Amino acid sequence: MRRALTRTAVASAFARSFLIQGSWNYHTMLGSGFAFAMLPALKRMFGADPDELDASVARHLEHFNAHPYLASVALGAALRLEADGADQETIRRFKLAVRGPLGSLGDALVWATWLPGVAIGALTLYWLGFSGWASAAFFVVVYNVGHLGLRAWGFRVGLDAGQDVGMRLRDADLSGWTKRLQPILVLLLGGLVGAVIGGTGGLAEAGVWWLVLAGAGFVAGLLGGHKAWRPAAVLTVATIATLSVIGVLR
Amino acid sequence: MEILRLSLLGGLFGLDSTAVGQFMVSRPVVAGAITGWVLGNPVLGVAVGGILELYLLVSFPTGGARFPEGSTATVVAVAVGAPFDGAGVLPLAVAVGLVWGQLGGFTIGVLRHANSSLVPKHSDATHAGGRVTTAHLIAIGLDFLRAAMVTASGVVAGRLVFPSALGSWPLDRAASVALLLVGGGVSAGILLHDVGGFRRRRVWFATGIALGIVGTRLL
Repeated sequence: MRRALTRTAVASAFARSFLIQGSWNYHTMLGSGFAFAMLPALKRMFGADPDELDASVARHLEHFNAHPYLASVALGAALRLEADGADQETIRRFKLAVRGPLGSLGDALVWATWLPGVAIGALTLYWLGFSGWASAAFFVVVYNVGHLGLRAWGFRVGLDAGQDVGMRLRDADLSGWTKRLQPILVLLLGGLVGAVIGGTGGLAEAGVWWLVLAGAGFVAGLLGGHKAWRPAAVLTVATIATLSVIGVLR
Repeated sequence: MEILRLSLLGGLFGLDSTAVGQFMVSRPVVAGAITGWVLGNPVLGVAVGGILELYLLVSFPTGGARFPEGSTATVVAVAVGAPFDGAGVLPLAVAVGLVWGQLGGFTIGVLRHANSSLVPKHSDATHAGGRVTTAHLIAIGLDFLRAAMVTASGVVAGRLVFPSALGSWPLDRAASVALLLVGGGVSAGILLHDVGGFRRRRVWFATGIALGIVGTRLL
């Protein structure tokens, strides 16, 4: 049985998707946020029958996790499935099937590539002599062009394709986009390193030993990966604290 | 009054970092500039935000992972350093930020545990519609309060110890920045490790360094 999916309900679900992580928890992760985003549409579809409304809310309260931006893909598709009258098991299985890929695709594309890439771009501008405001504005504008574009595209694709959204995701080749963006990220990272070495107040001005120490830090990060982050942060704080104590005692 | 303003700012940035929108205005590079502007010291705000951004480049709010909270850490770091001047202000403010970021990350974990008992269970979904909305909005409110309190406590504690810690800082300004860049170098290395490693990306990386150095000469 097909159910009405009004423009208002769809817009409301999309707007609420920006709050999808509001009640993130270790039990259902995004589950309650997903139900919160679906609620206006579910009320519209099942409002006449309280039992059916409760059942529909219950199936979206179950455990769900994905990248928050790409959760909009699952949200749009779940709306389509509910509107098309898909049975409870189909919707459950669909959400189970998409949560892993939507998490890993989003983490690789957004958290590990887009976010650091744009941040490095902003930091490079700053080290090249642009004002702090220009760098911050660059970050906010460029980052959110990608962010909002991805959310809107994902929601639209989900809503259009419903259960077949996997095929549309394959066609979109998000992991291919990640691979294509990575060399640009590396180029920007190199640009930042170059600017930090050669810029005003940079490492070259501080002296060769600082350059060597920073190079050693870079190699430690390169070889150790994420395991190197916490010891480096602790060492930095400990060094600053020690220097501060020396300064106080002098 | 200033603590209240800073807490409000920290609370709003805390919401942006995960619960509401994730427009990333809470990233240190932006939060630092805004906090510095609010406190009348935009130069320090941008510098602290830029350094903390470099450190937190490889820290992402992924799924259930524990991560340092950069947003409140940046507000605290800029707020404790803003009234002071001198070569030691930047490194000490960044150190305060790095420590407080860990505390902020810990409180996120606590809140997420609390949210587990706040949200309705799918096995008990009677009249769940209203309860879902209420629990969700309460959780967002709690996140705001959490971030605001982390910020307020950080600013109060930081401002108590900061003047005495500043003492007669033994490094000059260039060496102080360089000290922070050594730690930032580790983050840059981790990032290159994540996106393919040096051997695979050496041409892109070397080209970038050359362009960066040329850029500093031209601009």
